Amino acid sequence: MVMQIQPAAPWRIGVDVGGTFTDMVLRDQSGALWVFKAPSVPADPSQGVMSVLARAADQLSIALSDLLGNCALFFHGSTVATNTILEKKGAKVGLLTTTGFRDSLEVRRGIRENMWDHRAPFPDVLVPRYLRQPVSGRLDKDGIELAPLALRDVDTAMEIFADEGVEAIALALINSYGNPTHEDAIAEHLNGHPWLSLSSRIAPIMGEYERTSTAVVNAYIAPKVVGYLRDLDSHLRDNGLARPILLLQSNGGAVSVEQVSERPVNLVLSGPAAGVGALGLYSRAAGTDNLIAMEIGGTSCDVTLMGEGLVGVTDELIIDGYHLATPSVEIHTVGAGGGTIAHVDEAGLLHVGPQGAGAMPGPACYGQGGEQPTVTDAYMVLGRLRPGPYAGGSVILDDNLACLAIENKIAKPLGIPVEEAAAGIIRLLEQNLLHAVEHISIQRGHDPRRFTLVAAGGAGPMHGASVARSLGCSQAYVPRQAGAFCALGMLHTDIRQDYLQVHFDNLDTVDGGTLQQAFEPLAERAQAALAAEGFSGDKAMVQRELDLRYRGQLWSIRVALAADTFDPAAVRIAFDADHQRQYGHTQPGGTIEITALRVTARGLMDVSDPLPPAPSVKRSEPMALRQVYTDSSHGWQETPVFAGADLRPGFSQDGPMLVEELTTTVFVGPKDRLSVDAADNFMIEIGGAES
Amino acid sequence: MSTQDNLDPIVLALVQNRLDHISRQMGWVMTRTARSPIFSQSHDFSCFIADPDGTLVSQADGIPIHTGGGGFAVRALLRDFAGDINDGDVFLLNDPYTAGGNHLPDWVIARPVFVGGELVAFACNRAHQADIGGGAAGTYNSEAREIFHEGIRLPVMKLIAGGETRQDIWRLVMINTRTAEALDGDLRAMIGSTKIGADRIAALVDELGMDQYRNYFEGILEHADRSFRRCVAAMPDGDYHGEEAIDNDCFEPIDDAIRVRLGVKGEALEVDFTGTAPQVKGFKNSSVANTWSAVYMALASYFDPDLPRNEGTFRTVAITAPEGTIINARPPAAMTMNTVFVAHEIVHAIWKTLNQALPERSCAGWAKAIHGTTSGRLGSGQEGEESPFVMYQWNSAPGGGAVEGRDGFNQIGHLIALGGLVLPNVETYEQLYPVLFKRQEFRTDAAGPGAYRGGTGADFEVEVKVDAEYAFRGEGLYNTSCFGASGGAAGQPGDMELTFAHGGRETPPKYAVRHFGPLAMCASSPGGGGWGDPKQRDPERVLRDIRDGVVSQQAGEEIYGVKLSGNGKSIDEAATAKLRAS
Repeated sequence: MVMQIQPAAPWRIGVDVGGTFTDMVLRDQSGALWVFKAPSVPADPSQGVMSVLARAADQLSIALSDLLGNCALFFHGSTVATNTILEKKGAKVGLLTTTGFRDSLEVRRGIRENMWDHRAPFPDVLVPRYLRQPVSGRLDKDGIELAPLALRDVDTAMEIFADEGVEAIALALINSYGNPTHEDAIAEHLNGHPWLSLSSRIAPIMGEYERTSTAVVNAYIAPKVVGYLRDLDSHLRDNGLARPILLLQSNGGAVSVEQVSERPVNLVLSGPAAGVGALGLYSRAAGTDNLIAMEIGGTSCDVTLMGEGLVGVTDELIIDGYHLATPSVEIHTVGAGGGTIAHVDEAGLLHVGPQGAGAMPGPACYGQGGEQPTVTDAYMVLGRLRPGPYAGGSVILDDNLACLAIENKIAKPLGIPVEEAAAGIIRLLEQNLLHAVEHISIQRGHDPRRFTLVAAGGAGPMHGASVARSLGCSQAYVPRQAGAFCALGMLHTDIRQDYLQVHFDNLDTVDGGTLQQAFEPLAERAQAALAAEGFSGDKAMVQRELDLRYRGQLWSIRVALAADTFDPAAVRIAFDADHQRQYGHTQPGGTIEITALRVTARGLMDVSDPLPPAPSVKRSEPMALRQVYTDSSHGWQETPVFAGADLRPGFSQDGPMLVEELTTTVFVGPKDRLSVDAADNFMIEIGGAES
Repeated sequence: MSTQDNLDPIVLALVQNRLDHISRQMGWVMTRTARSPIFSQSHDFSCFIADPDGTLVSQADGIPIHTGGGGFAVRALLRDFAGDINDGDVFLLNDPYTAGGNHLPDWVIARPVFVGGELVAFACNRAHQADIGGGAAGTYNSEAREIFHEGIRLPVMKLIAGGETRQDIWRLVMINTRTAEALDGDLRAMIGSTKIGADRIAALVDELGMDQYRNYFEGILEHADRSFRRCVAAMPDGDYHGEEAIDNDCFEPIDDAIRVRLGVKGEALEVDFTGTAPQVKGFKNSSVANTWSAVYMALASYFDPDLPRNEGTFRTVAITAPEGTIINARPPAAMTMNTVFVAHEIVHAIWKTLNQALPERSCAGWAKAIHGTTSGRLGSGQEGEESPFVMYQWNSAPGGGAVEGRDGFNQIGHLIALGGLVLPNVETYEQLYPVLFKRQEFRTDAAGPGAYRGGTGADFEVEVKVDAEYAFRGEGLYNTSCFGASGGAAGQPGDMELTFAHGGRETPPKYAVRHFGPLAMCASSPGGGGWGDPKQRDPERVLRDIRDGVVSQQAGEEIYGVKLSGNGKSIDEAATAKLRAS
């Protein structure tokens, strides 16, 4: 949505660096939105940030210094942490571990992604064995010292590290989650080392492999990521930005560069996790707090679930085969996007994904030499995308190439007409999307029919209605800024930090005072972190939670505690209810164990919902009529194509229709009805029970 | 004329995808809801779907050694309850001789699925229980000589009849376990997972229509058949022979083998075990279901990780498994160990044979595990509570075998899970059990040499602080338990010694059940087999191994022909060239 009017200061800016594009959303004082895009520069992501800002300044006809000078909050989602891992461009790391256990990082608990593919190697270990050095000293499971720490071992290791040119150091000692004093003592001994990662601070979970792996990844990416962010921050501030930039973390909350410097590993999901903020926004707009977002880009689909207003945060994250125990929004990612490849296997069965065509060569219709048919080629064959310039003119879509690829690789081998082959590719893709949504909902005990599906990302609005229908949902919600979902989400994000202490106790017999005391250090850290970011009073929220399980289980459920009271009976009721929902049964009277204490710190940002534009006064006319293959029962239909900017609140029309927006295309099937809601987004009512 | 010619190819792809998704969904429910750590941590279960005739149509989820064996259970059910299978029934079974079980600890819950009053499928879950009675806690009685020593035998039974749980049966199984609380929770989780599976299958069948759904199931089986025929056709016609030694019967040394002949003729494959060792005294005899699964696993893992996991894959395979042998024992032979040993031996025998037929895909052997279980009672005196525990000593896992392009995994779960068993963190074990770990580190010079070397295995030490029962099943101890491929060599065997807190030492036998007071267990797990000529190993990899301390300088020179320069950080190119030329 490009508005003619000038934004009213002060404004907020969100910049999300994606693999292909850097998205920027500006939200002015009145809540009006502007969206800008520029190509990403993978080698130096800050160039993409600066060029999208320059483009915005140019289009708004203001100076960059004014654009930044009038920016009250600058949010940034960056792939720099992720790319440092994917491209293996991190620092040389030395690891200090407890004598006898220096190989847990490389054993990696034997976890392999696909056991049947036993020829696939493990990902390369990030610290070679000769740089994993043992330190004597041992704590038991309760944190009691069995053997004193030998700092002379640390000195020996440091000599080796110096000799080998080690840049960053990770510390991960056995049982340090329960007692960090040995790790603290080493840190103190190494006082002044610029890049130290302590497992007990970064990921104080029980389980030496995941804790070690997290500390190592943190050390591996820290010098590059922290350096980059500091440079970007000072560059923006030199250009007029008054307040330090805020970064999106994997937990869906924002943090300052200053605070994230100790644990940049928390930025691994930086971009996608911003979807949480977008879900909050659409939850208010759509009038429901049960939403499932399906954000589909070129190569993958990220599915996130908001149940009763909450998006789940776990301690489990895998990036390129490396295990991280950092607080992370539960996002289920599948290889299903516009560039996903379809193929017929040698025994004659059609498959769609998970492989994608990538940016190069891309879909066949891009004319960049790609011969494998993709989902985008299927859109072309079915008339759902217009041939010609696409994505700001960076490619020219050629429907003949699309047709040829699907004809040769799919239609002929299967012996079916080309449009049926294309429609089949879409159906299989949509089934994969359905399975992804079921994965995250049913696995957690949610009934997806109670949810509104939010179709986002550049390709999401093509499939929202169909997937919603298969799920049994009555409607699909399509944000007008679907293609800038995460950048928009950032603008509606709170500050957030998570703290954890492993703690074993019995829920029924634990003394409330003891528990309170155990929570105290976590709460103090939370308050201090919020104060440092400038939050206090009712803007500084500190939430306490317990990890609970029935005795004998290995998985825990988080249960929030009411402020300042501890009522074990109420906690049991809440736990049983959640256990019933997630697992379908309870153990009446069963022993409930506490396994960890958690504190979440939230700095609440002031936010008003965007100002709705005035309803349209005149009837909106389509830009064109196009032959579109809508589904197998309707075949080719003459379908109106609308320009999104022409559709204002109050608009409503039956499908089939296509809506071309700045960052996406919305497909509305023949039985569905599209309307523009008061918040200026699209709502598709699902008609008929056709699959 | 195949069924597929009349099917919509798009719908066929959708059905295949959907069935696999449903079997995975059942797995998620199981993982999340089960009580015992073995399910959530080790994933020792499998969920599968069979058609109304008991043919397995999907098993996308689960441990590899279960794959391909599920149909036997459903066919036993159909045999025993013909005419008495009703909506709302749920069946339970485990017996490998009479009920299509693979071994007693793996219980099967099978739920018939009805649409419009017609039986259309079975939703099933096969899962390893924590304890089922028998002569040793934790299901593995290493001294069993008959199946009666191994726990409760269950024929095919209706556990739930028309929606009503049969309380008499429920009580029967609960009093036959040492861990009733766990079994109760785990059985409920199994039942819950099949409920979700059955609902989804019914919806799918309903969508396809009663007159069409069987054709699509058949289309899926035919696709699997065509997929595997292509694998067989890639091998030159002929007979290939291989064998894997059986050097003990769990009590004494023996000198026998699993012997296999692979007969390749066009797209047809014979797997003939004629000449294989007779059934043995101990508990590593195999059942039909387990042997079929092991054969499936050996073939599928060798060829293509994407082969469909259903019984269609086996249509072109004819297995001959003579009765009375270790791979198809007669009752009452003991057989609880079979899913690990003798399944590992079956896979090795078939891989060795395939290595001759298709050397370009050759696989080296994975070393055999040395660990058993330690069990006892926990928390005596705490609030008057005592609870039993059974700990698997997974942290002493062995090294895996190499293939072209990758070294063996240094420490990895059983071959029969293809590494799919997740090893525990020592911190978790120290919280759960009365143990203190001292060491779990890679061995030096234990890996089987090769251009790609085997896994290193590990030096392992743990103190057990209480009186406990030890069920030893250290097949990988003391003798070589893997093999090299394409010029690589086997890794070093495993070793174990116990040092008692009250004095004395003992080297435990491979198989036994013993009771000891507090002790320290010190073990070296065996290294895996290498692939290819070690003199062809990339010198940079040898350098790294030497710097990492998993290969000694001496072995670097003598076995790999790589000499390092004085500082030990780089390769002496000239000396290396000379060593490798000789």
